[in-house]
Amino acid sequence: MSPNTLKIGFARLSDCASLVAAKERGEFEKQGLTVELKRYSSWAAMRDALANGVIDAAHMLAPMVVASAAGLGPYPNLFTTSFAINLNGNAITVSNSLFQQIRDIAPETLQQRPHLPTALRTIVAKRRETGEEPLTLGHVYHYSMHGYELRYWLAAAGIDPDNDVKLVVIPPERVVDSLARGQIDGFCVGEPWNTAAIEAGLGRTLITSAEIWSNAPEKVLAVRTTWSTQNEDTHLSLLKAMLTASQWVDQPENRLIAAQMLSLPNYVDMPVSMLSPSLTGRDVQTGGVLVQNMPDFGIFHRYAANFPWRSHAKWILAQMVRWGEALDDVDIESVATHAYSTELYRKAAAELGIACPTIDEKLEGAHSHAWLLDAATSPIAMGPDLFMDGKIYAPSESGKAETDAESETATNVK
Amino acid sequence: MPSPLTPKNSGSNLTTPSDQSVTTQSGEARKPEPQAPAKALPLRVLIIDDLPERAKLVEQGLAENAVVHTASQLHGKQLLDLVSEIRPDVIIMDCESPDRDSIESLRSVVQNMSKPIVMFVEEENDQAQRAAIEAGVSAYVVDGLTPRRVRPVIDVAIARFKVMDGLRSELKKTKDDLAARKVIERAKGLLMKSRNMSEEEAFAAMRTMSQERGRPLKEIAESVISVLTLLGGQA
Repeated sequence: MSPNTLKIGFARLSDCASLVAAKERGEFEKQGLTVELKRYSSWAAMRDALANGVIDAAHMLAPMVVASAAGLGPYPNLFTTSFAINLNGNAITVSNSLFQQIRDIAPETLQQRPHLPTALRTIVAKRRETGEEPLTLGHVYHYSMHGYELRYWLAAAGIDPDNDVKLVVIPPERVVDSLARGQIDGFCVGEPWNTAAIEAGLGRTLITSAEIWSNAPEKVLAVRTTWSTQNEDTHLSLLKAMLTASQWVDQPENRLIAAQMLSLPNYVDMPVSMLSPSLTGRDVQTGGVLVQNMPDFGIFHRYAANFPWRSHAKWILAQMVRWGEALDDVDIESVATHAYSTELYRKAAAELGIACPTIDEKLEGAHSHAWLLDAATSPIAMGPDLFMDGKIYAPSESGKAETDAESETATNVK
Repeated sequence: MPSPLTPKNSGSNLTTPSDQSVTTQSGEARKPEPQAPAKALPLRVLIIDDLPERAKLVEQGLAENAVVHTASQLHGKQLLDLVSEIRPDVIIMDCESPDRDSIESLRSVVQNMSKPIVMFVEEENDQAQRAAIEAGVSAYVVDGLTPRRVRPVIDVAIARFKVMDGLRSELKKTKDDLAARKVIERAKGLLMKSRNMSEEEAFAAMRTMSQERGRPLKEIAESVISVLTLLGGQA
């Protein structure tokens, strides 16, 4: 097979938009690539296909690449990424009955942003006292931002995600059905599945992932590390096609067109009305009510979104350690370096004249407002990166020192 | 609701041989499994497949040497509850099944399972992996179980998946042949009517075209139909 003919795996989610746009708008062809997009309904199947060379690249959960680099799962040290597909885009939705209970117990918490699950904690405790089954909450994959976001949110209110509730993995396409059948009480999933649950009158969204961690990493374009080494030119062309497609998708005026592309039967195969909230940021729900406008609900390019920030990889690894999936003596630097390769991205950005960070990691959680990243080939406008509990994540000692200059912002936060 | 699980030969097996090995949360075996094939109890196998006929086929292949359960149309929490209840040593499922994502979460759900479940590929060589992948089989085994014990189960599953594939492609071929015959008949009829050919002449004309162009007869018949329909204004 010619290295310029590629197969790329994707999942039925709003955040495959830049891949679909690259295909539909001919960005792959412009870079001399012939790309076939192949849809998967299981992360495990997509991972196996990538591992075994059935596909060359994949729209993959960022933590799956980190897990591989950390030696977790069936394919240790096999994957890497040089491209982050998007930031944000998930949400936590609960059943109508659970929402009603929350409203009965603490209606005031629904007015607060971000919504802290203190009422949920009361419900969890009451169920234990009365000997009821613990609440069951779904997320989409064992190593997923959805899982870590859900855990972060629960833990922020003092709920132990491993002992106080039951977490179960349900693939995105099946969460709405599971909620309808009463098998789960809520879930953390990407779009359009929260919107689908709301539209079906089955549940309410309590919080969006951007309110748990602003501009958090989500999907990445994963490849086999050996493939990248052996086909560097092809990989570079792929990154360039993805960069120009991501620029296009990120423009607010193109979002509705992207939603129309995604609605096609061979892509997400859902009505435009279900896809447009997540892509346009309009009519998104949080706190159980419609919020008219959340322009940062899903980010595809701005805020240096496509750069594979090693601080993102390290935070993900820190969650794996926090929840006992990885050992605490894991070599964080080595895992982050293997999982997130920054050099090829820099080359692609330079060839396209796109501003690119000159640092590999940043202090996470230090910015409550828009800020300017000076450590870049030209300054880049960045979005907030707050955690809901105001904590700051320093990826390393050097990272701490580097951002001391910004400590003013950092201390102002909390 | 009828119970979706079909226990076969269930009964006496309350423990499995691999219960003797203790595993840590990271899946590392502290004590190797004692090599005592003589007293080895049959493996507990769970087949998760939304194609009941294929599940049956695999089950039949394994029934003599294993305790086999099957699950169909069972997802998410219900599926995981079933797994905790059955505590299988081996889970066999379709590579493309979305339920795999749920099953993979068992890796760390140690409070429900005595031992984490790992993917078969972690225990095996490249060749064995490839054979399973090509057949569309994915398998999960209880951590610590020796490949030697699991191997025969996987081999049966691979073989039965292939048989099923064969049956399905045969069925598809039969259907395709039938469809092709219909198209050819119709083209023949059109030729007979518009060119005053006999049935034999019409068929021979198409066969000659098929041979000259190196295209299947069905394709030739299709073009005959579209051309004659276009010229004649109607079929």
